[in-house]
Amino acid sequence: MIKEYTGDDMIVATGIDKFYPNGCHALKNVSATVHRGEVLVVIGPSGSGKSTFLRTLNQLETISSGAISIDATDMYAKDTDINKLREEVGMVFQGFNLFPHMSVLENVMLAPLKVSKRDRREVEEHARSLLCKVGLESRMTNYPSQLSGGQMQRVAIARALAMKPNIMLFDEPTSALDPEMVGEVLDVMKSLAKEGMTMVVVTHEMGFAREVADRVLFMEEGELLVDDTPTLFFDNPEHPRLAKFLSQVL
Amino acid sequence: MEKTPNKLLWHGVLLAILLGVGYSVLLASQSIQYTWRWERVVPYLVNTEPRPVMSPFDGVASISTDGLSVSIESDNSAEPAQVFNEFSQLVVGDGDMIFEGDVVATTNDWRLGPIMNGLVMTLKISIVSLIFAVIIGLFVGLARVSSNPALKYLSLIYVEIVRGTPLLVQIFIFYFFIGTVLGLDRFTAGAAALSIFAAAYVAEIIRSGIQSIPAGQMEAARSLGMNYAQAMIYIVLPQAFKRTLPPMAGQFINLIKDSSLVSVISITDLTKAGREVVSGTFAPFEVWFTVALLYLVLTGSLSWMVKLLEKRLANSD
Repeated sequence: MIKEYTGDDMIVATGIDKFYPNGCHALKNVSATVHRGEVLVVIGPSGSGKSTFLRTLNQLETISSGAISIDATDMYAKDTDINKLREEVGMVFQGFNLFPHMSVLENVMLAPLKVSKRDRREVEEHARSLLCKVGLESRMTNYPSQLSGGQMQRVAIARALAMKPNIMLFDEPTSALDPEMVGEVLDVMKSLAKEGMTMVVVTHEMGFAREVADRVLFMEEGELLVDDTPTLFFDNPEHPRLAKFLSQVL
Repeated sequence: MEKTPNKLLWHGVLLAILLGVGYSVLLASQSIQYTWRWERVVPYLVNTEPRPVMSPFDGVASISTDGLSVSIESDNSAEPAQVFNEFSQLVVGDGDMIFEGDVVATTNDWRLGPIMNGLVMTLKISIVSLIFAVIIGLFVGLARVSSNPALKYLSLIYVEIVRGTPLLVQIFIFYFFIGTVLGLDRFTAGAAALSIFAAAYVAEIIRSGIQSIPAGQMEAARSLGMNYAQAMIYIVLPQAFKRTLPPMAGQFINLIKDSSLVSVISITDLTKAGREVVSGTFAPFEVWFTVALLYLVLTGSLSWMVKLLEKRLANSD
């Protein structure tokens, strides 16, 4: 059953299943809806399928069955251009994945120039303002190898924002960072959330989830077990497996 | 602390070994009573012999007052007078009777000898093959990493066939079979065989280069809305190119050396020129050492250029 779309549903995932070629059942009938401007945080033990779920939302992973629609566009419809859809959905990776052969500014400018074919001057202005926003105005001509992990991740956020996406996906953005750099990345994400960006964040940062999330999802072994407000999620975990998980990490 | 070797001592050892090798070459040539005649090789590198300028017909020579040009009036008045002004030594005098084929003057301009002409041919066939090898290799390499089974297995079959058969045999097949069917001349057939051969290795180098780039690079590019081709062109290939430079340089050096095999289909490259000159000079040792040195100059300057390129590309590391 495909859900009726309202204008405010940015992401609607309906009953998605994912089998890997080796037979692993990574996602089991996962359904979730993200409204415009909402911040969704997905937590769960490693191997729970939360990253896989996130990656299905811009089709870096295809799904075996079910349906996903982004801003009322069915991702798997015949006439859907996945590249166009991906322009709407920015993604930030655990491993940064900056382009090492380009300077910071070029990293941010590449996709708007080559994909959106926007005017070079406008793109550069936009890129500079984004890099200022993430606090890297002094690093524009540096190469990624000359930056710290936190700086690289902030460049990656600016790079995704340069495409003017409506949705931002974060795949464990702070997991590869030294502890003292986690804060600077989370601060950028918080300010994004405040500006009303629709965000789906896979993370182990419980503090961030509690403070910023509108809803928190708990996944384990490919199943979506809990979808609740942070208060109920953290203070009153009803599901026994969530309670057990929280007692282990908190 | 780790012990560092005594630099002075070991440089001395290096020098001693090199001198020893040189001396044993000398001894070896003495033991077979070989007389080195390096001067015989020189005319085959650069020909400085005066070249005769010959009259095309019978006639009378008349030298201009400044002595810088000579014109031959033909006995047959229908033919226009022939004027020569590029020479260094005049042989005829004013008013001399000239017959067809007589030497009117000589020129001293330098010409490339057969060995240098062979070098030029080797350079030409290597450059042409190198360019095509890179183009073909790039497409085959991309096909190797493609998810399309037809492309993937076609490229695999191509690589396996080309790598599994000797280049010499491939050159014969190209010249005698494909060359005959398509009417290719020697040079085209030779260059095609070399390109196809080197392209198989280039393709494997490019494939491994592409596969050495972390999957996250492609994912990041795709997540920004780039299609597969854009992600390849802007993100994966530039990085792969940098990583493949050292093995690519090795492959290009192999290509230059392998080009010596085209001499079997009578292309007068450096090796064939060497063989011809040996039969003219009876100085095989000198000629082959010269030929080897010239190959070394070609391959050496190539690896030097690649090193320069590597340095320039290293700025983002």
